[in-house]
Amino acid sequence: MKKRLNGILTLFLVFMVQLTFAQQLTVTGTVADVNGVPLPGVNVIIDGTNRGTQTDFDGNYSIAASTGETIVFSYVGYVTGRMNVGSNPTINVTLSEDAAQLDEVIIVGYGTATKQSFAGTATTIAAENLAVKSVSNLSQALAGEVAGVNVINGSGQPGTASTIRIRGFGSVNGNRDPLYVVDGVPFSGSINSINPADIKTTTVLKDATATAIYGSRGANGVILITTKKGVAGENYIEVDVRTGVNDQVIDRYDVVTSPEEYIAYVWEGAYNRGVINPDGNIADPINFANTQLFSDNYVPAGYNMWDVANGGELINPETRMVRDGVSRIYTPQKYVDAAFDAAIRTEANVRFGGGNEKTTYFTSIGYLNDNGYALNTGYDRYTARLNVTSQVKDWLKVGTNIGYAYSERLNNGQTVGSENLFEFADKMAPIFPVFLRDDEGQLVPDPIFGGNQYDYGTDSGFRARPNANNLNPIGSALYDLDTRNRHELNGNFSLDFTLTDNLTFETSFGAQYWNQARKDFRNPFYGGGRSTGGDLSATDTEFYTINALQLLRYKNQFGDHSIEALAAHESNEYSFSFANQYKGLAVSPDVYELNNFVENITPPSGYSEGRTLESYFGQINYNFLDTYFLTGSVRRDGSSRFVNEKWGTFGSVGAAWVVTNEDFLANNNVFSFLKFKASYGITGDEAGVGFYSGYDTFNLGILGGGISISARDNGNPNLTWETSNMYQAGVEFSLGQFLDASVDYYVKDTDNLIFDRRVGPSQGIAIITVNDGELRNAGLEFNLTGHLVNTADFSLDLSINGEVLSNEIITMPLEPSTQEPRILDTSNSPFAYSKGSSIYDFYMREWAGVDPANGAPLWYQYFDDANANGIKDNDETGILSLTPYLSDNPDANVGRTVTDTYAEATDKYVGKSAIPDVRGGMRLGGTFKNFNFSTQVIYSIGGYAMDYQYAELMSDRFGAAGNNFHKDIANRWQFPGDITDVPRLADGIDQNSTSGSTRFLTKTDYLALNNVLIGYTISGDALGNSIDNLNIFVSGDNLYVKTARDGFLPNTSESGNSGRRLYAPLTTVTAGVRVKF
Amino acid sequence: MKNIFKITGVASLLLFGVSCSEDFLEEKPSEFLTTDQIADAAEKNPAVVRGTLTGIYALMVETGTGGTGGHDDFGHKGYDIFGDMLSGDMALSVSTYGWYRASITEFQAPLDFTALDNYQVWRYYYRIIRSSNTVIAALGGNDALPELEENRFILGQAKAIRAHSYFYLTQYFAKSFDPSEEILPIYDDLEDQNGPKVATSEIYALMESDLNSAISLLDGFNRTQKNEIDISVAKGILAYVYGARGDKWQEVYDLTNDAKAGYSIITGDGVVGGFNDVNDPSWMWGVDITSDLSLALVSWWGQVDRFTYSYAWAGDAKAIDEDLYDAIPDNDLRKAQFRAPTDNYADLMPLNKFYSPERVIGGQNPVTTDYVFMRVEEMYLLNAEAAANLGRDADAIISLKALLNERLDDVSYLDALAGQALKDEIYLQTRIELWGEGKSYLAMKRNKATIVRGPNHLSFVGVPIPYNDERLTFEIPESEIQNNPFISTQNN
Repeated sequence: MKKRLNGILTLFLVFMVQLTFAQQLTVTGTVADVNGVPLPGVNVIIDGTNRGTQTDFDGNYSIAASTGETIVFSYVGYVTGRMNVGSNPTINVTLSEDAAQLDEVIIVGYGTATKQSFAGTATTIAAENLAVKSVSNLSQALAGEVAGVNVINGSGQPGTASTIRIRGFGSVNGNRDPLYVVDGVPFSGSINSINPADIKTTTVLKDATATAIYGSRGANGVILITTKKGVAGENYIEVDVRTGVNDQVIDRYDVVTSPEEYIAYVWEGAYNRGVINPDGNIADPINFANTQLFSDNYVPAGYNMWDVANGGELINPETRMVRDGVSRIYTPQKYVDAAFDAAIRTEANVRFGGGNEKTTYFTSIGYLNDNGYALNTGYDRYTARLNVTSQVKDWLKVGTNIGYAYSERLNNGQTVGSENLFEFADKMAPIFPVFLRDDEGQLVPDPIFGGNQYDYGTDSGFRARPNANNLNPIGSALYDLDTRNRHELNGNFSLDFTLTDNLTFETSFGAQYWNQARKDFRNPFYGGGRSTGGDLSATDTEFYTINALQLLRYKNQFGDHSIEALAAHESNEYSFSFANQYKGLAVSPDVYELNNFVENITPPSGYSEGRTLESYFGQINYNFLDTYFLTGSVRRDGSSRFVNEKWGTFGSVGAAWVVTNEDFLANNNVFSFLKFKASYGITGDEAGVGFYSGYDTFNLGILGGGISISARDNGNPNLTWETSNMYQAGVEFSLGQFLDASVDYYVKDTDNLIFDRRVGPSQGIAIITVNDGELRNAGLEFNLTGHLVNTADFSLDLSINGEVLSNEIITMPLEPSTQEPRILDTSNSPFAYSKGSSIYDFYMREWAGVDPANGAPLWYQYFDDANANGIKDNDETGILSLTPYLSDNPDANVGRTVTDTYAEATDKYVGKSAIPDVRGGMRLGGTFKNFNFSTQVIYSIGGYAMDYQYAELMSDRFGAAGNNFHKDIANRWQFPGDITDVPRLADGIDQNSTSGSTRFLTKTDYLALNNVLIGYTISGDALGNSIDNLNIFVSGDNLYVKTARDGFLPNTSESGNSGRRLYAPLTTVTAGVRVKF
Repeated sequence: MKNIFKITGVASLLLFGVSCSEDFLEEKPSEFLTTDQIADAAEKNPAVVRGTLTGIYALMVETGTGGTGGHDDFGHKGYDIFGDMLSGDMALSVSTYGWYRASITEFQAPLDFTALDNYQVWRYYYRIIRSSNTVIAALGGNDALPELEENRFILGQAKAIRAHSYFYLTQYFAKSFDPSEEILPIYDDLEDQNGPKVATSEIYALMESDLNSAISLLDGFNRTQKNEIDISVAKGILAYVYGARGDKWQEVYDLTNDAKAGYSIITGDGVVGGFNDVNDPSWMWGVDITSDLSLALVSWWGQVDRFTYSYAWAGDAKAIDEDLYDAIPDNDLRKAQFRAPTDNYADLMPLNKFYSPERVIGGQNPVTTDYVFMRVEEMYLLNAEAAANLGRDADAIISLKALLNERLDDVSYLDALAGQALKDEIYLQTRIELWGEGKSYLAMKRNKATIVRGPNHLSFVGVPIPYNDERLTFEIPESEIQNNPFISTQNN
């Protein structure tokens, strides 16, 4: 591996040395509208070539051209201009508005297309819409930008990437991640390594015509990222600096904060145990609660912060509240206060660009210091990029583009377990202090780190803490360390040979590499590291991908017909290696290197894994009169993941008709542009199975001094490609100059689904991964942009996008023991799969509220009411699971009753789904004189999710003092006759009161204020000649979220269900300045 | 364009330089190995063949083999704790973390098939059965008689492990021995798909045939490690199987007599010696736990031993049932195995029975103290039980005395016992001698006992519960009911 890497680096250098900067004629000029207002972002292309550029902020451009060539100037909403290159190197152009012209060049798979001609759906996101957001990587910035693209921001930990879903849920158990392609190379590195400030355009490909050219990997959509390039003739320096704060502004769960309120709940839990008296041993519930309250099985006496001796003196059994006159010996500090605080975010980028007609360059450096609001969390990153293109010879163009990033991520206090700042902030009961108290309630000095000792429960030597004993995330966030330092490279080298006027041969070699050193250190004095004398887990991981592409492209025009065709071969190799050492007994508590730890705790481990892909593909695009467009592609892929059937064939066909180019619409007053398009294609996916899922595998170990080989996973050698058939029809239109719109409808049928089929575990295995079953996703997507105001001083645009999505299982996988399609699969609880359901339909027990007599939780039990008397008689069968029962007994007369036994309640489809009716984003933006402003909102309506965290906060499953409660616990049942939906406190007796049922099914509707920006631009004239322009701005991200319940953030997980340990997304407010010289 | 040939030459070079060789699409793992990789390795390294069997023993002590991430999911010894707690002899005397509390000590899992503890037991033992079937299939199947002696020993062990797992399933999932009750699906072939429950008699027939076959296959096997099943262990397991039937006491008597040969009873200070070393001459079957196994927090020692960095120290105290403790005479060496009660967290914990040798409270991390599966004392006790059930009280007393002579100064009181009183004494001695070793639950079922918890339990103190109570056997887990189309009902 090392050797291979050296090879790559050598290649980097060789290419760099070979670049030469030749001199040639450069055409420069300014593009403006009829009012003389410069037009930024105009596409400037030499006709019939791939050479192109864009105008800058001031409408200036610079491009290499030869005499006799034609320069084409195109810009959305303007008539395309054409100018012949003569001897004068300055060509200024005025474009007139005409929404009917849509010659904007868009980047698509393995080439470019014009917006007019493209038969698929490719949405390009304006760089300025992404640039306003204070994010560390592109994935987070995509939220709300594109219809059908769902961004799941699963963690606020600085330096984490968001999960992206394009067009629903393409697979049941397989991969749903889109493919990233950076400057033409499939990208498997970390999206964090690409500084968003270096990105010029981002294009999302959604339909099969757009993605099938990526064959094996296009089924879940493709995100094409193009980094910035230099522009001939315009040498510039651009600096932007922004700084601000990250903080927790979005509300957390509304939990109990008063120790008196909480301790009364503990007392009541113990009291109710006495009343329920499950084993008949408690004679007097009040006496039981009074004596047990401050005991080892409830709240150990040392946590009694009041000036009373026992539960009887503390709690008034009539009111079940703390008695008047009781006062505290001390007031415990809360974990939430110790864990979170506003933190600084600073970002600075410098970019240089320029070149001449033969050679252009772009280079940048960037620095990001992004501190999280949680104690000792943050992300530091340094980035650099160099992008050079040179027409070395008439027949050879050389390009090289290298990005480097070094990052340090600090993840303290986020152990996957209970020792977690976020778990403690919500779930640690308010009676338990952050700092240790001795038996007199006094703070205990810390002889090692100074200050006072943190309370670790038993480990602190005074008493066990019934809530997350032996753990203190404040202590571990301060004294332990969890860092990831990463070097990351991504690069692309290309050679384009012009063989004839019509034929080019393009070859590129792309590579991504990273190397990460993770250090996980635990201090020897407090917490888990005490038992090992301080320990260090050092994990080194290394990753590379190499992608090689050889492509032959043919372009020609025959009268009104033009044609472009390509044929190519591509290979891709992914490799990952892992090595871990875990040692204990630290000599110095401050040195985080292995030699400082002198005892091996576990044997070192290491391995490498990888996969290879090989592909052959071709594409033909045909254009007649710029009105009729046809496209077709075919691709054959082989993957090492599959054992017996490695190869799959994919492809697509598409057509577009630009109706406004027809004579009969030539002078209509309604449509300035109208295009219909349709496509069909087959795409595939292989990433949903493991690298070695085709094989039975065995773990290796040692036992009794000898080799032990034990069963690990059962493989399936017949696993092969999951394939999707996608049909799409769409329309794009513009109404005058006021509205641009596009609407797409698609149906995507995925079959040979990669499906984790559950097996009755008595077979000795629990899951077999198979290709079986068929899933349909269908959706309607819309993008509307209204140009509400458009004057010289004031412009205002309003964009709304959204998706309406449906999902249905068409065919269930086969059940091998019956040879019939399986009726129901409940492996993805709380959802279940069956024919006709979606993969996100809830299948669970129905909550029936609380028994007013005793406060016990109740559920609905369905039964076969054979005698139709509406009552479950003793001889009538209770139904455990409704769907299979009705399948076996289609004529059953199903009745419903109520049970207090969870195991008797019936699992069934409850008629709710996690899939929302509609979701998307809205943006209002514009300019007023020198001000620019923008605000973005994202929304979702109509779905449901399980609020598991709320369930935990409403539960006493760990006993009466097990964890903190949500304030809604005040609504609990207390006395016979109480009508409420919250069961009694029962000291863990009602274990199932928070088990899966409709009780915690919650609407996922949300409205989030995602981004607000206000900027002011000072033109170069006002600043003297040395500065071209200066923009100052203030922006805010993630400012407000409205959901069904404070703390419940359904947009942080794919299903919407809430999970533990959520680092709720940061709210960021920054101010910045951007200067261009 | 004169350069065109040169260009295409360069292009071809680039094209073929990166094009793919025949095996470009073949990738093999190194974190773990595939069947083919193991077969290749076995050709060069004969130790690999034995390794596939050793792997089953490794599964017996690995964490997560019950298919959950629970901290009570650590292989066979984990279910020993379930059994000890259900039988009431092991009390959860302080509960801080909640492990075992509601699910086992308050019997919620045995009453609720959705509770994961049911799944854990079921998943684990059937996982071992499948692994055994894999090894048996590789050696030619159930009826094979491998030519190589080494392979005969491997086959014998695999069959014995399979029977051992079925035995625990019969105990945990059926209330009592009823030959006609359909209780468990049966798999004796790797290719078997999910199937229906079969009669108890069929399960017992497989266990008995497996163990008898193992006893014959293991003839002449001199094991090098005590984690391996040799002929004495196979006989011990078969004695338990016959004992559970209740109608084959002569066989139990003979098998236990045979099995105990070559081992010696723990004596003197050994009784409070820690029960942590597989080399103890009384241990018939156990596992040498080394740091290579990476057992720590989640382990039997973690749950039971106060001197390990884990739950027993940190807040979940496991103690002997107070009534059982009171039943141990003061002059019995075993009384000192438990901490005398003084109103302390550690009251009645087995501080001197099971401990890591350093004896630092909350100290041991990782775990290197060993796991015991079978001790020779069990053979003496089972032998006595068999004799008593055969009506041969004198023989029973001889066996019992052989053990108790090493525990008490004076065992003459045994001579006065006969009939049921003698059986009761043997049962009591079994509970005392084997406390915390997972055997009390089996003895409860053999003796058809009614259990009553002492006052140091957190719940159900003083409530009589018969051995065949619903609360004392696990439920067939929800996952089996949902995913095996042939099973839709619980056992009796």
